[in-house]
Amino acid sequence: MKKTLLLLTLCVAPLILSACTPVAAWERGYLARNEMAIDSDPMEKSLNNHIYFSKEASNGGNSASGGGCGCN
Amino acid sequence: MPKLCLFTLCLFLHATAFGAAVGEAAPDFTLPDLFQKTSNNGAISLNDYRGKVVYLDFWASWCAPCLVSIPLINELRNKYKNEAFEVLAVNVDTDPEDGIDFLYDHPVDYPVVSDPEGLSPALYELIGMPTSFLIDAEGTIRLVHVGFKLSDIDMIEAELVELLEASK
Repeated sequence: MKKTLLLLTLCVAPLILSACTPVAAWERGYLARNEMAIDSDPMEKSLNNHIYFSKEASNGGNSASGGGCGCN
Repeated sequence: MPKLCLFTLCLFLHATAFGAAVGEAAPDFTLPDLFQKTSNNGAISLNDYRGKVVYLDFWASWCAPCLVSIPLINELRNKYKNEAFEVLAVNVDTDPEDGIDFLYDHPVDYPVVSDPEGLSPALYELIGMPTSFLIDAEGTIRLVHVGFKLSDIDMIEAELVELLEASK
């Protein structure tokens, strides 16, 4: 019984003690900056895709969609 | 032991009551004017507008749909400014200078307050930006609108006209 309780506590404790906190919709100002986007420059994105294709002989799977304003 | 488990599980069952839903009273707040130009040390309260229909708009300079919404809302406000209607905009930029710069490019005729700490958005439990609330003359929220696209202005105007008729 004590062992089970201890095991349970050890499993649950990291979930409670973690510091994950969501960013509120009105705090996304810094995330909306161009430099925070993964691909803000189409030219740079095109170049990176070309390099990736050249090295990996495959492409795709590296884009993300959605706005930074929390409205979608 | 099973009782304890049940009790613990019950802790996860709670109704999420949004503090700012339709039909609820709009929480009051007092915030400084963005341009620090009004009297009363530049502070504006929502309750100052009790008796008027208020369109409360939370916006920021970094919020893309605000580029669309703000000129349209200004037009709407000027169209109905002789009625008991006002627009109150809350700028949530962490640096108010960004909000001021935005307004130099897109000037508006209605009061704008500044809340860089995000106290009023938390009070209204915003889930997206921009969010706007239509509050009737008695201070009850009548419309909650998240996001903005061009066609939304017609819906908002229709709701506004309804509220203005009701308050006459």
